[in-house]
Amino acid sequence: MTTLNWGSISSMLVLFGTAILVVTVASLIKSSKKDLLVQVMTALGGLGGLAAVIIYWHRVSSDGAKLSFADTVRIDHLALFIIGVISSIVFLSALTLKSFFAREKLFRAVTTEIYVLILLSATGGAIMASANDLIVLFMGLEVLSLAAYILAASNIRKAQSQESGMKYFVIGAFASGFFLYGIALIYGATGSTKLAQISQKLVSGAFVDDGFLLGGIALFLVGLLFKVSAVPFHVWTPDVYEGAPSPFVAFMSSAVKVAGFVALIRVLGGALIESAADWQPIIYAVSIASMAVGTLAALVQTNVKRILAYSSIAHAGYILIGIQAATKDGFAASLWYLAIYAMLAFASFSIVAAREGAISGNSINDPNHIDNYRGLASKQPFLAVIFAILLLAQAGVPPTSGFYAKFSVISAVVDARSYPLAIVAMIIAVAAAFIYIRLLIVMFFTPADSSLLGGATMSKTAFSKTTSKTMSPITQLDASENSDATFDKWKKLGANKLNLAVLTLAAAFTIAMGVYPAPLLELAQSAAQSLV
Amino acid sequence: MNQFLDDFGLSIMVFVPLITGLIIMLIPRAKEELIKQLALGSSLATLGWAILLTVRFDIDNASTLQFVVDTDWITAIGSRYIMGIDGLALPLILLTTLIVPLCIIYSFNHWPEPANPKSFLTLILILETGMLGTFVAQDLILFFVFFEVVLLPMYFMIGVWGGQNRRYASLKFFLYTLFGSALMLISFLALYFLADGTAAGLDVVNTFDMRALSDGATGAIARTSQLWIFAGMFLGFGVKVPIFPFHTWLPDAHTEAPTVGSVILAAVLLKLGTYGFVRIAIPILPEAASAWAPVIGVLAVIGIIYGALGCLAQKDLKRLIAFSSVAHMGFVMLGIATLTNIGITAAVFGMVAHGLITGMLFFLAGSIKERYHTLDMSKLGGLLTDAPRMGWVVAFCAMASLGLPGLAGFWGEFPVILASYSPAAILSESMFRTFMVIAAVGTVLAAGYLLWMLQKAAFGTAGGGSVDLTPGATPHNGDGDDHLPKANTAIKDTTKREWIAWAPLLVLILGLGVYPRLVHEVVEPATEKSLEINVGNIKYDCLELSPSSATDCFNEIRNRNG
Amino acid sequence: METAVFIVAAIITVLSAFGVILAKNPVHSVLMLMATLFAIAVLFVAQDAHFLAAVQIIVYAGAIVVLFLFVVMLLGVDLAENLRVEPIGGQRPLAIGATVATAVLTILLIIVAASDSSKPESGDLAGITQETGNTGVANLGRVIFTDYVWAFEIIAALLTIGVIGAVLLTRRAKQQEVEEEVVEKEGGQL
Repeated sequence: MTTLNWGSISSMLVLFGTAILVVTVASLIKSSKKDLLVQVMTALGGLGGLAAVIIYWHRVSSDGAKLSFADTVRIDHLALFIIGVISSIVFLSALTLKSFFAREKLFRAVTTEIYVLILLSATGGAIMASANDLIVLFMGLEVLSLAAYILAASNIRKAQSQESGMKYFVIGAFASGFFLYGIALIYGATGSTKLAQISQKLVSGAFVDDGFLLGGIALFLVGLLFKVSAVPFHVWTPDVYEGAPSPFVAFMSSAVKVAGFVALIRVLGGALIESAADWQPIIYAVSIASMAVGTLAALVQTNVKRILAYSSIAHAGYILIGIQAATKDGFAASLWYLAIYAMLAFASFSIVAAREGAISGNSINDPNHIDNYRGLASKQPFLAVIFAILLLAQAGVPPTSGFYAKFSVISAVVDARSYPLAIVAMIIAVAAAFIYIRLLIVMFFTPADSSLLGGATMSKTAFSKTTSKTMSPITQLDASENSDATFDKWKKLGANKLNLAVLTLAAAFTIAMGVYPAPLLELAQSAAQSLV
Repeated sequence: MNQFLDDFGLSIMVFVPLITGLIIMLIPRAKEELIKQLALGSSLATLGWAILLTVRFDIDNASTLQFVVDTDWITAIGSRYIMGIDGLALPLILLTTLIVPLCIIYSFNHWPEPANPKSFLTLILILETGMLGTFVAQDLILFFVFFEVVLLPMYFMIGVWGGQNRRYASLKFFLYTLFGSALMLISFLALYFLADGTAAGLDVVNTFDMRALSDGATGAIARTSQLWIFAGMFLGFGVKVPIFPFHTWLPDAHTEAPTVGSVILAAVLLKLGTYGFVRIAIPILPEAASAWAPVIGVLAVIGIIYGALGCLAQKDLKRLIAFSSVAHMGFVMLGIATLTNIGITAAVFGMVAHGLITGMLFFLAGSIKERYHTLDMSKLGGLLTDAPRMGWVVAFCAMASLGLPGLAGFWGEFPVILASYSPAAILSESMFRTFMVIAAVGTVLAAGYLLWMLQKAAFGTAGGGSVDLTPGATPHNGDGDDHLPKANTAIKDTTKREWIAWAPLLVLILGLGVYPRLVHEVVEPATEKSLEINVGNIKYDCLELSPSSATDCFNEIRNRNG
Repeated sequence: METAVFIVAAIITVLSAFGVILAKNPVHSVLMLMATLFAIAVLFVAQDAHFLAAVQIIVYAGAIVVLFLFVVMLLGVDLAENLRVEPIGGQRPLAIGATVATAVLTILLIIVAASDSSKPESGDLAGITQETGNTGVANLGRVIFTDYVWAFEIIAALLTIGVIGAVLLTRRAKQQEVEEEVVEKEGGQL
């Protein structure tokens, strides 16, 4: 008989349960404190998921992976690692959303539902991370994505957001179709949807049809590569990211992406590891294409959200490098890169969200234009420094977490003796550094255009006084301190204390993982060890 | 106490500046005095600590690593926290710890535009940690991290406090260096996975430990792989040096950087590249080094000539000094390419000497710019009459830079030329003798451009550009006039602050010139060890054999390992 | 025989699927969708998945497509069509053709079903063995509540998201409510 081990799925139950609780409580209470209550509950839900992960990590360490629900759920270190990452993102998201709601003047009924959707989407991610069966994986993917589509469209005041949600939905449904077809063919070839059984069939060579299997792998990959936005299935990413509300882009680019990759790692590294020779060339080509296209396209963008979107495509390429190696070290490297990148992407887009807030009162068409980051170092020095740390980490400069992320994936391919891939990846990494350096130059070395500030804080005459040499933003720090009321207002709207605290945490994490990455790296390694 | 020094001495020296930097970040910018004193205090303390370590350093065993720390760091990727210093690193560490406080003193109350001493000092201190860390690291990843840590503060220093083209220059600096180190990292990784120390009697298979790697753990690597790995390192270190085709970032960076930035760049940063060759590339991959040596030699002599000719074409004083750096680093690289004890010892000496002299020249350029508001040599002149003391300091440094015997520069050039007369036996003698001749021509050119610079900057009177300095004064041309040009009283002579910042450098330039043994004594044993090929406890002398028998010698090592 | 059924049904599926997206009139589009779903149901029958075929027709054709039609109608297809002009030329011959085709399909289905009764039931899902000799529906139920119980439970989450999403995306604020909250927020802590 099927054993239902509810304890093992406690992290998913916590996330899902919190979502239901939030809906229920929110519909019963009419107090003005409801906003705060909902926010706190969501944050606690994220923490609860994390706590469940920590408790189970030790149990799994001592007793081994826990299978339940007729072996369709597998709680092992890999699942727990990813659920931990996703839960943390939920926690951080919950903390940062409030200022966004206030700014966009979204009314209460909607804000509650957004928290619920984030929790549900995270549940989907957790389901995917622990799936040991292709059907469950697909269901998890749908839960994850459906919530994400709605989040993308959730700013009902903006047509852009609606458009973005629509695009995301159409493309996502298309990708899901491929994914499902791939599952069907793999089932056709091996006679099972259970990952463990597929793997056994492949080992014993007793599968039905090689053509089916290859077709299945190909379609399955197409579906998932869409989800993780790897080239050539990436076209939707910049458009969707640009249109969707920034705080949710932060969530999508971190939690949703992590879930997509864990599905790849579970299936390729677990069930299909025997036919690695079949899928490795595909991943090889896709990873190079993603790195190259993402980087080159990011170089010519002028919208910061699009820059980050393309850079996320390039990062997807780097994560695929580790998967391509098809070794335990390779998967560990990818998982570690994922954890690091999730934090970087989340924090970077959160900064974009905060920055949007700072200028939303202004009559600029595109609040995310790179020019709006000019001289950020003088206007919001703290934000600028944090953004600089995050950007440098994305560029892979030591001593930041991003360096070890790139280091470990490249180390994995060097170990697998794919020197050309390693060299190409490093060269692209240097080109990619230019993307981030460009933003740094804009923020630190370019004086703020006074017109963007409404002429309030720095007048043109102040510039003309400083001889031929243009003033660097750092000297303007003092000038901006005695600014007028409007400036204070954006400061409050754009980045309130809680947001800054979250961003500081992200920056501290980035540096800490750059100086002493050992603990998290070991977690990632034991996660990779648990692949079948 | 001694035990404490052995265990924590190096870590304290490396991280004190960084920690002070972080503390300074937390102090409000209004408390400028406190910030300045703290920064100066900590850099002096670091210098003091370095001197203490030097005193404790066992000079008789300069070839062995001392104050070694070896603990777990990132076990997951096989990297350990290993630090230690030997005779190769010691002079460079002293140079670094000396230059930094001098830079802080020089810029005291005198910050480059746009001021902001808080950020400026924080960057300098972070930079110091990066530089010192690079010199003490004995693990490839630790080395790489420090090597890259240096990049960012310098990038911001050029980008924020630089001149007109600072954005271009800082970007170029950053991307060039990053490109080099990217390929270097792949080489390190390849070394890690190919290394096997078991046959050499070492208890390691895959390792980033530089000690094990240079003790024979790389012996089994196939020749082609070695060549590729060396190529990656060559790019990484070569860009930093910079070797001839990769040098174009240097003049831009130097021209745009603030005075102190230029000084640190010239005095220490360039040495990170050459130090990498001496410490990592050659001891770890001697076979590949011998194969690449001719290439390095060719590029080095091209650099010498190209740098010298480049100098003669410059109008800007700082750009001229930057090109002279290219030439001087060419001598250092030529010394390294000979693969002989004399050559490499001279190269290390050359690094120190170049650090002192060129650092000093950049200080002077900064002071001249402050006084005349230009570095255009057609508008400069008359320093000897306007500010005689400073004029003589310029003359002294120019002499030192062109390699006048008795001053430090000489010992970085002459032995290099000597060494290329008889390079290691494995190398082609005729080829290196050709290099010798070209390098010798380079010294003549060096005399040419430095004297030309001296004439432009110090002799005569200021050209037409500086009207506001001497209103109404008619320009003199000094040469045939029977009366001496009148001093421009608007120009202040060397100030007390400048004297404090410069005196140690000037004394050392003279001191090392007169008594070079101070450096040789510690460097030579370490160099000798770095050229030895030890596998297990057996010493091979492949480098001292003719090319054909050297191949057999290397194959023998490989077979032993395989 | 099975192949012939497959070919005919597959062609109808694909063509009518194209029809769904190419038709200019939304009502035609919905009807085309219905044809697609029917043809898929035929495919299911050909695979002995009788239950699925039934569900396909009852749920999709019977409920969902009808809902679609309601929506389309309510949104106003009041294009005042001229009833005297035939919307599609040659509708009558087409209708006759369609009738014949349907008849052929029905006969095919009967033949397939009849030929299947001779061999043991092979329509199992997910490769579970038929140890009890139960019918397809019972098997399906068993599989859903044993092997796939987790996937089945996850549907709950999916439906929740659907409901919440529908509420979120369609809700429009009362003007007063918005102003109230804005005032409240700007006045209060941020």
